[in-house]
Amino acid sequence: MTAYIEFKDVHKAFSGKPVLRGMSLAIGKGEVMFIIGTSGVGKSVTIKHLIGLLRIDAGEIWFDGERVDQIPERNLAPLRQRVGMVFQSSTLFDSMTLAENVALPLRKHHNMRHHAALDEARRRLAQVYMEDYADRYPAELSDGMRKRAAIARTLAGGPARRNPAGDLQTWPDVVLFDEPTTGLDPISARRVDRLIRELATTLGVTAVVVSHDPPSIFSIADRVAFLYQGVVHVVATPAELRASTDLIVQQFINGQSSGPMETPGF
Amino acid sequence: MTSDEDQPQHSLEHLQAQTLAPPPSPQDMTPIAIAGLGARTLEGLGAGAIRIAEEVGGMVVLAGQVMRALVPPRIDRRELFKNLYKMGNRSVPIVALTAFFAGGLMMLQAGPFVIKFGATALAGWGAGYAVLREIGPILIALMFSGRVGANNTAELATMTVTEQLDGLRALAIDPIRFLVVPRVLAMITMLFALTVIGDFVALAGASVVARAMLGIDWSTMYHSFADNLAPYDFLHGIYKSLAFGFAIAMSSCYFGVTVRGGAVGVGRAVNAAVVAAAVSIMLLDFFLTYTTG
Amino acid sequence: MKRFIVSGIETLGAAVVDAVHAVVELWLVYVSTIAGIVRGLSRRRGGRGRPKGEILRQLYYIGNKSFIFIIVTLGFIGMVMTYQACLQLSRVTGDYSQVGQQFLRLIVSDFGPTLTGMMLATRVGAGIAAEIGSMKVTEQIDALRMSGVLPIDYLIVPRFIASIIMTLVLATIGAVVMYAAGGLTANYSWGVNPNLFFDLDLARGRHFALFAVKSIAYGAAIPVVAGFCGLRARGSSEGVGWATTAAVIGSSFAVIVLDFLISAAALFVTGGDL
Repeated sequence: MTAYIEFKDVHKAFSGKPVLRGMSLAIGKGEVMFIIGTSGVGKSVTIKHLIGLLRIDAGEIWFDGERVDQIPERNLAPLRQRVGMVFQSSTLFDSMTLAENVALPLRKHHNMRHHAALDEARRRLAQVYMEDYADRYPAELSDGMRKRAAIARTLAGGPARRNPAGDLQTWPDVVLFDEPTTGLDPISARRVDRLIRELATTLGVTAVVVSHDPPSIFSIADRVAFLYQGVVHVVATPAELRASTDLIVQQFINGQSSGPMETPGF
Repeated sequence: MTSDEDQPQHSLEHLQAQTLAPPPSPQDMTPIAIAGLGARTLEGLGAGAIRIAEEVGGMVVLAGQVMRALVPPRIDRRELFKNLYKMGNRSVPIVALTAFFAGGLMMLQAGPFVIKFGATALAGWGAGYAVLREIGPILIALMFSGRVGANNTAELATMTVTEQLDGLRALAIDPIRFLVVPRVLAMITMLFALTVIGDFVALAGASVVARAMLGIDWSTMYHSFADNLAPYDFLHGIYKSLAFGFAIAMSSCYFGVTVRGGAVGVGRAVNAAVVAAAVSIMLLDFFLTYTTG
Repeated sequence: MKRFIVSGIETLGAAVVDAVHAVVELWLVYVSTIAGIVRGLSRRRGGRGRPKGEILRQLYYIGNKSFIFIIVTLGFIGMVMTYQACLQLSRVTGDYSQVGQQFLRLIVSDFGPTLTGMMLATRVGAGIAAEIGSMKVTEQIDALRMSGVLPIDYLIVPRFIASIIMTLVLATIGAVVMYAAGGLTANYSWGVNPNLFFDLDLARGRHFALFAVKSIAYGAAIPVVAGFCGLRARGSSEGVGWATTAAVIGSSFAVIVLDFLISAAALFVTGGDL
């Protein structure tokens, strides 16, 4: 399988403190890859590098046959349309309603007029079961709702594709999720999981999910990369992971506070 | 640009971890320590100078990016109008009040002088000249900086800290073009308009004080203004306001977008922005006065 | 049209009510501050609440951070003002003999303290509001209350005293710098003889009295307004931002209004005498 996304020996340090120390990972097209590990190990940092929000110190990052870590900021627009990201804090714009939030990329990238974009935004919010809240502001909503709206907005930012009926569809080729279920109640969390799975199955979106939520990992992941001490300690399917004899993996999966894994600060 | 850690920057624990560095306590003020303090102050001055150079450099870079985004001018019109409305709405009352008092103040200063020499006809000249050329534009700019500039920094800083700016980048939308440029344009336009309005309000304030405290009647004041003040006096102040507006906008946006560190960082960013704007206003005033008298 | 007017009046009315509330609360903060000072004085050593040497710390904070700032800004303004005044005189009378003396009068009785006050309102007002505001949103203020300390005593009183002292000091330095810068400008650009400029003949005690009164008033107002805004901060980063903004505006405006009131009062008292 040729890698669709590939991290080759990536190094990154913050203020002298090394976080990624030779991280390598290959992700196939259309798969749902989970990146897991304890807090602070560098999971979010990894995916942020893919779209140039951070710059690596050494190594290479490849996407769809092209090297992407050296592209200057002003030329990153095409990449960022093909690779979308849903942030942990949803990062919806507080000064706009949900509909306006989702309409924003539609207006900017697909030249839709304001009202047409709003209508289209409402349709997309309906797809994530949020159409009743289209005119509310993010501050008024719960975390789970914001997360779903953020997903709708990220999807709206993708390149345009025409389906057989000729309607405008947009979705990115890749969507990065930064801890999509952290802080959500179990039901909302499972809903988000299901959304991610649907994206991959029906639209062929490659999903890279940063998470430390075992129910998510074991229900929707195709493969899991376990990040530990700055490198990818293990890459396996969920079943293989569960059956792993590696003590560190076992400690993480079973959520044990004591074990061979060093957790900083404890 | 983005947070250095995985934790969301605005969590309470993170906020509490940010403490402002305390200055040396008085117990340490022995003579040797004071000498050491002197040396450290010099060092601090040097470091301060470097920091100021960095900040000025950063603002110049930002200004360059803003200029580039204006050629060709593809500005988000909704954002522009939204900001124009917000900034104007917010600042007209306070600027009008300030201008009124400033005009009155100048009259209080000029008045006795004029009365002592009996030249009531020159009262307008005395107060008006200072107001139109200096006091008006500067005070209005300072108030604008405090009201709109600081608010703007707080908004941009909060957006940066809550990763909304990164969210824009991830959607392949340039935050400079989308957020910063409309605000810069709105601020320059607004300050210009406010200075024009403010100048008139200040003259009105001067007239009110002249009437109330010095017994000079309206028509005398009016003629005093009309006879002694040249259009250039008015224009001189107005086009200074363009420069001030630019300085305030740059300072405000720069410190908003480069903020670090949660709630404390936002407060510091606002502080820095307002101070930088004040200094820039004074410096610009100096250069503009000398070069364009 | 009528609805527009009615809603306009409503908004205005609401604004007035808000303003009155704010002024009342502000006055209460001021009174509490004075009460806190009295409390501190009446308990000789280690009055509960105020840590020892806090005033000195605040003096350092305020003075150190603002020193260069004041010198630079007031110096430039002094040059500009003199330049403008000479410019206008050159068009009207060409007689520069009075410039120095009038400049001195203006600096001492008005611009020295007021410009210093405006600059400090920016620098110090924002700083105080940001500090206290951050403490408020991270619940440190509540923590203070829980341990039996009055926030006013602990936070505002030391800053109040330090600010008054520092404003006086800085205003003096600023005025001197302004005066010197003005003389330099007059000499360099308009050929005014320094001896003619730096003539203290017309300086009067009442000018210096105004200087002192204004400096003290501004020094008192800034921390009260800024502390008040800081204590009212709500939310998180946004709240601190708003508090800082409000503090800068409130303090600046307070300086202007106080200047106006004191100048007007002086005019009444001295009956228009220079």
